[in-house]
Amino acid sequence: MEDRTDGRNANQLRPLGCSRTILNRAHGSARWSQGNTIVLAAVYGPKAGTKKGENPEKASFEVIWKPKTGQIGKQEREYEMILKRTLQSICLVNVHPNTTTSVIVQVVGDDGSLLPCAINASCAALVDAGIPMKHLAVSISCGLMEEGSIILDLTKSEEEKLKAFAYLVFPNSPLSVIDKVHSSKEEPIEHGIITSVSYGAMPVSGYFDCLERGRAASAAISEFLRRSLQKQSSEDASRAAQ
Amino acid sequence: MDVDTGNMTQTNLVDKVVVPGDVVLDLTKMENQTIKLGSGLRQDCDYISVMQAGKLRLSKPNKYWVESSQKRYVPRLEDTVLGIVVEHRSDNFLVDIKAPNLAFLPVLAFEGGTRRNIPKFETGTLIYARVVKANGIMNPELSCTDASGKAAEFGQLKNGYMFETSTGLARMLLSSPTCPVLEALGNKISFETAVGLNGRVWVNASSPDDVILVSNAIMRSEFLSGTQQRIMAEKLLERLQKS
Repeated sequence: MEDRTDGRNANQLRPLGCSRTILNRAHGSARWSQGNTIVLAAVYGPKAGTKKGENPEKASFEVIWKPKTGQIGKQEREYEMILKRTLQSICLVNVHPNTTTSVIVQVVGDDGSLLPCAINASCAALVDAGIPMKHLAVSISCGLMEEGSIILDLTKSEEEKLKAFAYLVFPNSPLSVIDKVHSSKEEPIEHGIITSVSYGAMPVSGYFDCLERGRAASAAISEFLRRSLQKQSSEDASRAAQ
Repeated sequence: MDVDTGNMTQTNLVDKVVVPGDVVLDLTKMENQTIKLGSGLRQDCDYISVMQAGKLRLSKPNKYWVESSQKRYVPRLEDTVLGIVVEHRSDNFLVDIKAPNLAFLPVLAFEGGTRRNIPKFETGTLIYARVVKANGIMNPELSCTDASGKAAEFGQLKNGYMFETSTGLARMLLSSPTCPVLEALGNKISFETAVGLNGRVWVNASSPDDVILVSNAIMRSEFLSGTQQRIMAEKLLERLQKS
């Protein structure tokens, strides 16, 4: 049972793609693709005023999830809530109090790992809009097979067959001028976890295995995100020379 | 990279692209120094870390900031901006400057302004003003006079055409020496322009053709180098002479 339908091995991720500043009117936008799962995120804001029930001493976030087809239902509301809480914890909410930032997520293709793809896209869109953030968020899906092995970056068919899987969100690994020797007393920041959503029943040891594998893979995604942010600024020079 | 602690310089991230979360300065290593932090950086206990993605810049001796280009504007003191009047209250105009909050322009903040000669700005009037109060929490405040109280080109901009750009392009247009595209256009066409650091540009010329040509040239010059801008401007001017 080691073969996955698309020929990847257990730890291999699908090809990642990220492009930013693709929407003209949005203040920040990004398109993130993992294989056939593609999500487009747009950020508007910060705009003045908060909604009723939100704390006016902090910036508030509003997430709208648009599915590819069908009406908006409970699943979309759940995704909106998870995305909102995740984004609130990575952004600095005290910099612009009493403002609202809207994030609109549009699903373009769904082949499994939809929520992680949306979180990665929203994070890239927030960076594009210049919203102040503490660090970036990197998200990955991990599935637990019957014999206890972990596979990463699930497709839709794998999600349907597996007994249990989890979506995990980790902080990215920062570049630092601080010596790693001094700070080895504390845990490095990428060992934290921001969000975890699990489906199905899995033993505790299985869940911790998922966390470890996911953390290791998140370093690769974090590196990809950093490279795409760096490349964008030098690519702009050649892009607009028409 | 994390082998020899003694050789780690504090500024090895300067002029590199940094992303939110990167730590750029360790304050425990720098004692008795004053550091000035510009936009995009924040102090987190003993470290200075990055809030916005962009290029880290250092202006000797001690000013650090992150250079990035956005569609929205964060108000800073003494910036000149182009605002659009949204509402007229009894003692301020509410002006939109593409910032997280609306800005206030007191009705008396004009040269020789008294209660008797309050200017009549309707909704939609374009104003060139200067930011006089900007902290993150309150609404920013503008003024249409310079520091000594004179009008100095501030006030309503009549006629012409206004378009929106990113803050990076606005900074480039205002850089000195004169931006190459403005210089190349100014050699052949006579026009006047006002650039707001909040990403708005106003252009006025004698004929609509000239206004369109100047606006298009400016919008296209965002990511071009100096020579490319001159070549692009010259090509556009040639086309106008021909037709």
